[in-house]
Amino acid sequence: MGFFYSIGEYFILMGRTFQKPTNFALYRRQIIHEIDSLGLGSFGIITIISVFMGAVISLQTASNIDSALIPAYTVGYTARQSMILEFSPTIIALILAGKVGSNIASEIGTMRVSEQIDALEIMGINSASYLIVPKIIAAVFINPFLVVWSMFIGIFGGYMVAFLSGVVTTEEYIYGIQYDFKVFGIYYALIKTLFFAFIITSIPSYYGYYVKGGALEVGAASTKGVVNSSIVILIVNYILTQLLLI
Amino acid sequence: MIELKNISKSFNNKEVLKNISVNYEKGKTNLIIGASGSGKSVLTKCTVGLIEPDHGDVFYEGKNFTKMDVDGRKEVRKEIGMLFQGGALFDSLTVEENIKFPLRMHSAMTEREMLDRVNFCLNRVDLHDINDRFPAEISGGMQKRVGIARAIALKPKYLFCDEPNSGLDPGTAILIDNLIKEITEEFQITTIVVTHDMNSVMEIGEHVIFIYKGEIHWEGSKDNILASDNKELADLVFASDLMKKVRKQN
Repeated sequence: MGFFYSIGEYFILMGRTFQKPTNFALYRRQIIHEIDSLGLGSFGIITIISVFMGAVISLQTASNIDSALIPAYTVGYTARQSMILEFSPTIIALILAGKVGSNIASEIGTMRVSEQIDALEIMGINSASYLIVPKIIAAVFINPFLVVWSMFIGIFGGYMVAFLSGVVTTEEYIYGIQYDFKVFGIYYALIKTLFFAFIITSIPSYYGYYVKGGALEVGAASTKGVVNSSIVILIVNYILTQLLLI
Repeated sequence: MIELKNISKSFNNKEVLKNISVNYEKGKTNLIIGASGSGKSVLTKCTVGLIEPDHGDVFYEGKNFTKMDVDGRKEVRKEIGMLFQGGALFDSLTVEENIKFPLRMHSAMTEREMLDRVNFCLNRVDLHDINDRFPAEISGGMQKRVGIARAIALKPKYLFCDEPNSGLDPGTAILIDNLIKEITEEFQITTIVVTHDMNSVMEIGEHVIFIYKGEIHWEGSKDNILASDNKELADLVFASDLMKKVRKQN
């Protein structure tokens, strides 16, 4: 019963969130602030994770090629396909759900328990819209750039493996990453990213917005926000893959 | 003037407010007093629409606030200033930006005009040279004063103060009380103060409403309290030995 209540409450909140803004100029400032905070603030961690993901995929693929019938460029091909189709959009979304999601839930939750949200309402401001819309817009705008960067740097990580370890030549690796390339793979990844950006921001916002109590409850809301947004990402990932690729 | 008619509110089948009717007069400091959990804060939140009452209506200048749609309420709320218990200043904004916030949302002022208004409000609460500081960098008493400055930035008709003295030393508490009284008289605001600080009651209580178990148990002015034979009110107001001595002397 609580599950259905939460879903209903989430959609009611989203209804309030997307009402006409009180003053769009202030929203613009907030959106720029959120792009910096949620997007650019995650650039470093995404770079580190992506380069190592690409490197490990290349190493594992190379170590699992036993047959002489499988060409060496498969390493590059596998690294590209894995990064573009799954690792960059989905794994990065899960990492951002942890990093950005906990940040959003605790920020909004703290505003709730310290009556800052009540203060916004008293000023005649739609607090849900003012707090949540800039985060959603910022994530939907900046996350595709982060994911494309992750794809690029992940494939580069695989190239570094080829260059440093010699499990495959750099020429073969480059041939592999160009082999049978389909642009739709990028579109597929970016479509998923847009959905994931919405999930990463809206679900933790919901848990933060309705928190009741004090610091302990804010922490619990943050955890719920991360766990549930991660689960929803995985479910939506499956549905979108079925719809777009099959 | 604010008029409350037959306000009732329950949480989980527990009746917190029972059929409360009261008038808050213009230019007066109205104090809602009562023990913790008596329903004072819920009554205030029902008055400003942060909590919806189960029954009853709230009227602002004769207009039924309870029955208004979102846009109607927004217009009324532009005329409400509220000082929260913890100040409720926006952590990520400086003192200046906190006070500018309602001005940016609801006025067509230029940056210069907004800055002038911010400085006027800060001067009014006797704060200087703290425009660029963040809430975490100033004391609790200063946060309360910035909260008042923000509440009066849009020249409100109604000022609500929820436990304005909580967590403050006696000197600062008296300063805040006096500030609220002065601002109420100066700008002819309808002020509602929720408190259980008996010093506040005796300092600024022009119209005192005593809530006991969700009902209005006594209503009068600070001058009537000493003469009142209401036992529950006496238990609350004259709980300390000092207050008992004050009562005896009078």
